[in-house]
Amino acid sequence: MKKMWKLAAIAATASLLVAACGGSDSSSDTTTAPDGDSAVNGDAFTYTNFTPFEGGTVVNCAPADGSAIKAAWVYVGPINDGGWTQTHNVGREFVQETLGDKVITTYKENVPEGPQVEAVIDDLVKDGNTIIFGTSFGFQDAFLAAAEKYPEVCFEFATGYTQKNNVSQFYGASEDTKYLSGIAAGAEAPAGATVGVVAPFAIPEVIRGINGFTLGVQKTNPTATVKVVWTNTWFDPAIERKAAESLISSGVKAIASFQDSPATGEAAKVKGIGWVGYDSDQSVAFNDIWLTASTYDWGPYEVAKIQAAIDGKWISGDYYGNLSDKFVSIANYGKKVTEATKALIASERERLTATPSAEFTGPITAQDGTIKVAEGKLPTYGDLMGMNYQVKGITTDLPQS
Amino acid sequence: MQSPLRLERRLTQPKWLNWGVPLLSLLGALILGAVVLMATGKNPISVYMRILERGFASTDAFSRTLISATPYAFTGLAASVAFRMGLINIGGEGQLYLGTIGAAFAGIAFADQPTPIIITAMIICGMLFGGFWAAIVGVLKAKFSTNEIITSLMLNYIAAILLDYLIFNSTSYWRDPKSFGFPTGKRLVEAAYWYDMSFGPIKVPFGFLVAMIAAGIVWFLYNRTRFGYEVSVIASSPSAARYAGIRTRWKIITVMSLSGALAGLGGASDVGDFRHVLDAKGVQIAGYGYTGIVVAALARLNPISAIFVAVFLGGLSNAGYALQGPDFPSGLVGTLQGLILFTAVAGEILTRYRIKRQTHVAEGVPS
Repeated sequence: MKKMWKLAAIAATASLLVAACGGSDSSSDTTTAPDGDSAVNGDAFTYTNFTPFEGGTVVNCAPADGSAIKAAWVYVGPINDGGWTQTHNVGREFVQETLGDKVITTYKENVPEGPQVEAVIDDLVKDGNTIIFGTSFGFQDAFLAAAEKYPEVCFEFATGYTQKNNVSQFYGASEDTKYLSGIAAGAEAPAGATVGVVAPFAIPEVIRGINGFTLGVQKTNPTATVKVVWTNTWFDPAIERKAAESLISSGVKAIASFQDSPATGEAAKVKGIGWVGYDSDQSVAFNDIWLTASTYDWGPYEVAKIQAAIDGKWISGDYYGNLSDKFVSIANYGKKVTEATKALIASERERLTATPSAEFTGPITAQDGTIKVAEGKLPTYGDLMGMNYQVKGITTDLPQS
Repeated sequence: MQSPLRLERRLTQPKWLNWGVPLLSLLGALILGAVVLMATGKNPISVYMRILERGFASTDAFSRTLISATPYAFTGLAASVAFRMGLINIGGEGQLYLGTIGAAFAGIAFADQPTPIIITAMIICGMLFGGFWAAIVGVLKAKFSTNEIITSLMLNYIAAILLDYLIFNSTSYWRDPKSFGFPTGKRLVEAAYWYDMSFGPIKVPFGFLVAMIAAGIVWFLYNRTRFGYEVSVIASSPSAARYAGIRTRWKIITVMSLSGALAGLGGASDVGDFRHVLDAKGVQIAGYGYTGIVVAALARLNPISAIFVAVFLGGLSNAGYALQGPDFPSGLVGTLQGLILFTAVAGEILTRYRIKRQTHVAEGVPS
């Protein structure tokens, strides 16, 4: 939490400075946009790891009179959840800092999935917002409906799958960074021990992250097994904590959570068990048990997209960031992580930066013994997006059927 | 030390209190809210104008308010019906979930029928499922004197787990086998969508009309029939009711089931009017059932007032989202909403009690 206040203070001071200089181009000290990647070629926006929507056309969603573009974010959780929504809000603050007086950002937090989302979007459009970011999977239907209603508004959706001419999707390869964090968990647990995972929903996005994590555990601890508890929720600290406690009492020697809150860390802290977090760096608050976490940096892509809108070059598409453009990253290490492990993670990080999803280099065997990725091969983008099997070493079954 | 003021029960309640007190409470809330707003550097007038504009004053804002109000109206009615007989039904939440399950079932099963038949089937199934869930509580209370607060609350959690099971952990009838990635329910065919009614520029969800009709029926049942009379006798004295030959056990089961059926109807409207799918997660995040208890309390358990209170709360919550932003934290929105609800409930006391100054309290007299 202290880290969060520090970040907030830095952000606040930075934005004050920006305002004082009349929005001169001061770049933040902590994060920088990937150099040259946001260069615009031809009419439409181009960006590393961004595939334009097939048959898509440029959507003009900036105000015609050249006034500041209004951008809004719709969050499912509170902006201080210590995870998912908080890092999205850090992204929004980064946008405001970077683009200065060219943009006016706002957000709505704690928006429940369902009919309320459309009402919130209606309100945002009425307030003049012309580029709207959605950050929860469950908002997708409402966003698609709104996109049809407001064809002149640009919609950016994180972690969905349906693109439209004015609905872009953005996300990234957190399976790669979850793999790196798995290396730390495998090193923390004694040889052959069980490692626990608290996971939200059994959907490809989450399953491939758990698979990546498990492969990481096996990198340092080849005989270790992984046990997963599904919470069926993105954000519910009470349920997350209960799930973590059930894993801890079943004897796991290290634990990871891919949830929006740090509740698992609180349960792990009680027993002093090493913890791999998610989304946010909790290395200060959970100093004793912290290993590391897979994190996201949403801001640079959002800056590039808003700049594209201002330039009249916004186009829908699919952005899947990775280690090479620093969209995904890993948090600071805790004191439990040894120098040898850090060195191993560093070298693996280099390998995955050069070749995303290299941790899935075949042979990859599923739980039931079938070979899913052949020897020496890499999974295709489609294979990754549709991953619906658990790798060998995970002892719990997938929930459905 | 003795307080210089005391509350004294009013023997008669003058008519003007019925509208005077709510108005005064609202005024009080606005003044208190203005203090908070000014302390945080906001202009209260412009904030209030925005609440009015985004919650109620324009036709499309009011249309959106009716959308938010519809589920509150049903759960408010459900709570009122039970509370009127002294049954503390906290289970509107779970009963509404069951209603969504029942209605989604009917919507899928009758997909090839004409719209009026599908809607009727959804309404009936939603009510049956919700009513059944509440009847469990009623039977336990009637037969074993189990505390209904606890059983109805616990059944909320079971209903939530059941919802999760149907969509996330099984290949149930409700689950779309083709849902890529994220497990979702089967989407209803368009013929099963409930009607969008328009009165001039104002769009009214079909479910809201159903809620208004239901409120009328409940009002009639409780104020104009023997059934309602017996319920009010039980509420004021169960033993006297038994002595008078009223079958209190059956009343408990019936009233609980009725309450659950109304919450279930809210679930049916949730599926038919808005989501068109059994949305296991979305309906749980919304928490309509718990809000219904607030609606019932503010409406003083009057079914007709419950509709108005639901609209008021719907507008307030929509306006709350409109206010939110980087310079207006959601905590401040919650504070304003909380102040309005708090003063409304506090004002409620003044309609039944009046404040008297303690004047002649003799020393040594135990009080």
